[in-house]
Amino acid sequence: MTDEEKNEYYSSDKFLNAKAEMDKLVAASMKKYEVRQNVLFTKLSDVTKAMSSGLINWSRINSLWPMQFGLACCAMELLDFFTPRVDAERKGYLLFRGTPRQCDVMIVAGWVTKAIIPEIKRMYEQMPDPKYVIAYGECATCGGPWWESYNIIQGIDQVLPVDVFVAGCPPRPENLFSALMKLQDKIGGKVEDEPR
Amino acid sequence: MITRINVGPIHPGTHGVLRLLVDVDGDTIKRVETHIGFLHRGVEKLVETRMYMQSPPYMEKLDYIAPLAFDELLVAAIEGALGVEVKERAQYIRVIQLELQRIASHLLWLGTLANDVGQLATVFMWAFSDRDKVMRLLEESSGTRMFYVNQRIGGLIRDQPPDFKEHALPLLDYLEKRIPEFEATLEKNPIFTQRMKGIGVLGKEDAINFGVTGPVLRGSGINYDTRSNQDYYVYKKLNFAPQIQYRGDSYSRYKVRMLELRESIKVVRNALNKMPEGDALGLPVRLINPAVKNRIVRVSRETPRGEGMMYMVADPQRPYRLSIRSPSFVNLSVLDHISREHRFADLFAILASLDPVMADVDR
Repeated sequence: MTDEEKNEYYSSDKFLNAKAEMDKLVAASMKKYEVRQNVLFTKLSDVTKAMSSGLINWSRINSLWPMQFGLACCAMELLDFFTPRVDAERKGYLLFRGTPRQCDVMIVAGWVTKAIIPEIKRMYEQMPDPKYVIAYGECATCGGPWWESYNIIQGIDQVLPVDVFVAGCPPRPENLFSALMKLQDKIGGKVEDEPR
Repeated sequence: MITRINVGPIHPGTHGVLRLLVDVDGDTIKRVETHIGFLHRGVEKLVETRMYMQSPPYMEKLDYIAPLAFDELLVAAIEGALGVEVKERAQYIRVIQLELQRIASHLLWLGTLANDVGQLATVFMWAFSDRDKVMRLLEESSGTRMFYVNQRIGGLIRDQPPDFKEHALPLLDYLEKRIPEFEATLEKNPIFTQRMKGIGVLGKEDAINFGVTGPVLRGSGINYDTRSNQDYYVYKKLNFAPQIQYRGDSYSRYKVRMLELRESIKVVRNALNKMPEGDALGLPVRLINPAVKNRIVRVSRETPRGEGMMYMVADPQRPYRLSIRSPSFVNLSVLDHISREHRFADLFAILASLDPVMADVDR
């Protein structure tokens, strides 16, 4: 409140009919809490979802459970990721789980052969929603050095929807850290999906 | 009544993409059927389309726990084809790097073995933190963290950094103190000993007939180590002795690898102390039309998993044919034989004691 407004507020003529002014102020402040007259038909679950979406997103961001699932070389760096030097747990990426049913992040680490595609698809379907996929390393991103091979597909994104791509052969464990932080940003709505 | 259990292909216990069909009677294994090929990518065929020095990166992905082993093996095959001698200092550096690689590989194996017998919290984490220290040393020596590609024809891409010795020796001392701690934690644990001693026995004759190599062979009491039998590089000058155990079970395979860790530390220390001054650089990568002297070459080296071998028919620009003998493939073939009549839960301890790398098996 500026000085002029203050002066106007405390001016004498306003004090004379203080009760009327008070009523006016109360009415103005009550306007916020006024019950809307329109009627909305909706499901209770939608209401709770809308109310708690912030909470759900927050907990989703901070407890990503990756799946322990290594295909090839990059799996070695994946192991390094949750061992003492890098220690993923301090950021909320809990210990890797052996079964897809408990996980929400699938890290595809290694080249994807035609023989393994059905298994990867099945594991992806077994994961509960919402689920995210990280293509870790050259081979999972684009085929890598095996690009010309007769038994390799050029990237896991031909089979599954991928959220984050990580470059490198193999990427250092720190890169997986940054990839998961990107994924957190994406879940939190800070990053938009880039068209590919 | 025989029940058939499917394990894998994606399973945390199988160390890669391996599918096992296990026939069990109650809890007793009657038969193990091994299905491989989930990682097959035709590397031997791919290499035929590449020029010589474009191929080492492909070889590193064969045995990704010890990438340098097959990288060095291919370069050695090319050197054999071209008739190039390796410079002496380069030989020492190669030995140091190969043995450091072996230490890192065995530490990873130790961690995953401990994981498989239920020791995730302690030994797994210890082994990995120590492995990371060795990896950092290798990074210092070669320039990259995991896939080095630092071998060149007749030498290396670069010499070691000048202060490498000062960094390496304290780490070797540290590891030497650390290995008894690992052993104490595991061997005094009755769960570990009960799941390793007398389990998965591979007899002496069976070991020869199956053609296994490396720690699996030496665990069965046969004194065969390519490092001493074929006598490549400077191992003879470094006081190297192969490590042998005689019982042939999972425990003696474990013991062989623990002794090999000590032996590798000794060899690296000797090599650091005896390393001569001089030039270690190899030929540049761009070898246009190299003169092939020996058209057919066969080279074998002791990789951490056993005897890796390469048979190469050399053309001027690129190999006409490259055939790889992968130790993991042969070692894995004994799984059915040695795991019969054991408990189902011990299957993964037996598999871990064989230490296969699936990318090497499938090629």
